[in-house]
Amino acid sequence: MFHVSFRYIFGIPPLILVLLPVASSDCDIEGKDGREYQHILMISINYLLDTMIKNRTNCPNNEPNVFKKHACDDNKEAVFLYRAAHKLKHFVKVNNSEEFNLHLSRVSQGMLQLLNCTPKEDSKSLKEQRKQKSLCFLGILLQKIKTCWNKILRGSKEH
Amino acid sequence: MMILGTAFGMVFYLLQVVSGESGYAQNGDFDDAELDDYPFSCYSQLEVDGSQHLLTCTFDDPDVNSTNLEFEICGALLDVKCLTFNKMQEMYFIRTKKFLLIGDSEICVKLKGKKITCRKMNVVKIVKPEAPFDIRVIYREGANDFLVTFNTSHLQKKYVKELLHEVAYHQEKHENDWMHVNLSSTKLALLQRKLQPDAMYEIKVRSIPNHDYFEGFWSEWSPSFHFRTPEITGGKMDPILLTISILSFFSVSLMVILACALWKKRIKPIVWPSLPDHKKTLEQLCKKPKKNLNVSFNPESFLDCQIHKVDGIQARDEAEGFLQDTSLPQPDESEKQRLVGGVQSPTWPSEHAVITPKTFRGDSPLGCLAGNVSMCEALVLPSSRPPDFRDGGKNGPHVYQGLLLVPGTTNGPGPTPFPFQSGILTLNPAAQGQPILTSLGSSQEEAYVTMSSFYQNQ
Repeated sequence: MFHVSFRYIFGIPPLILVLLPVASSDCDIEGKDGREYQHILMISINYLLDTMIKNRTNCPNNEPNVFKKHACDDNKEAVFLYRAAHKLKHFVKVNNSEEFNLHLSRVSQGMLQLLNCTPKEDSKSLKEQRKQKSLCFLGILLQKIKTCWNKILRGSKEH
Repeated sequence: MMILGTAFGMVFYLLQVVSGESGYAQNGDFDDAELDDYPFSCYSQLEVDGSQHLLTCTFDDPDVNSTNLEFEICGALLDVKCLTFNKMQEMYFIRTKKFLLIGDSEICVKLKGKKITCRKMNVVKIVKPEAPFDIRVIYREGANDFLVTFNTSHLQKKYVKELLHEVAYHQEKHENDWMHVNLSSTKLALLQRKLQPDAMYEIKVRSIPNHDYFEGFWSEWSPSFHFRTPEITGGKMDPILLTISILSFFSVSLMVILACALWKKRIKPIVWPSLPDHKKTLEQLCKKPKKNLNVSFNPESFLDCQIHKVDGIQARDEAEGFLQDTSLPQPDESEKQRLVGGVQSPTWPSEHAVITPKTFRGDSPLGCLAGNVSMCEALVLPSSRPPDFRDGGKNGPHVYQGLLLVPGTTNGPGPTPFPFQSGILTLNPAAQGQPILTSLGSSQEEAYVTMSSFYQNQ
């Protein structure tokens, strides 16, 4: 009898505490006024897009399926940006120029700095991220990030 | 189970111990109060060298022994956790591209690897712009002002682009009397009237971030520029304007002089034409006789002429009565005697007789100057054919067609026939013996001569 109560007292509460963040995926965006995005992130995103224009001539028109699954939907903008920030990390390569890698890192880490959320990374999305490493995907991803930020800022202005 | 519970308890205890306060000194030599012993300040300069940023920190107390002291920055960095400062004399700096520019960083002073004092700073809030340069002052004479221009390297930067500039200027002899002007552009116009004339001025400029995201401190002052204000020359005029003024003045003066000189002769007759004077008009219109005849209606010019006034066309009876009367005008006395004598002789000298119509009495009589043959030349009594006159059947003064012919005195050459419409009879002495008479117009009623008929004849 004593062993059973001890297990429930000391075993279950920590388990609940550990599992609680997994169940909730709410993210909070700190930079909703848009100053960090407009003065720092947007400059780096535009630099990356301008640099990649030359190398993105043969990109397919169809959108990858991952964007259909994880879109910048209403009330899910922070989650989308959080996932996008993590995806950007995978594009930091040695064969890129130092300037390119720095701007990639600035966009990724900057967004993570502003987003206060820790959703669980499922193994499926990780596999998809490892597959998509082309510049075409990166270009689409950066465009999606811009669109999502504009949506957030538009919404904050209306409120 | 007991063992399991004990293990959990120890784990919780260790967690509490490990997650103690940061900055806890192991040796206990430094208390919280001593963190303020090494106060320092930092400033950042973004994109100072291409895309590289510069972060500089110095101790506020210059007497601090910084031999073993180091500076370290952690947080808000790209791909690294912390960066260590480089030291140059008493200044610590770090030149890197790895500033995230989002969020706070922690800058700590370390002594032998251990953190002494830390301060939380945001790199974008301690920005110190680079000093402006190339300041110039140009005097604009047309606008009467001084155009101040300068340059700044932030115009080409990506992050800190908007700055607030402060221009300071003063007269060199007034050391501490500085004037300050704030502006966001790189051009400024100083009005000349606000500066002292013929004075030497010094001017310089500095900048500070004027941004809703970037904040910081004033930059260093730009190198000064010296300029001298021009003297006030009130009487100095534009040479072209002066020339035009002089020419205009002389033109106006010339026009005034000409107007005064030509007023009477040319300008006034056009502006205020005078009514024609009949006397003068007639004098101008009448033809001048060929032989130096001066036509004049001035009675004074007829003083030497024998003027016999005719009281009109009289009947024969009255004429006879008149002829019997001996009270003839004195100038004609001799002429009359001669004529009488001439009548009695068989020969008849050619003479001229003058008939003056009544209307001419007292008016402008026909001029008859001595020695001149004029309009007042008289009828020439016929001399070669006395019988014609004798046909008249009368002696004494001659009467022709009821008109009294009064002899005049003309000893000159034979006159030329001078036709008139009425009033004057002339006899051409060239055809001697033949009286040449010109009838007075169409009838005797037309003996009155008017000025207008003279005008019309001409």
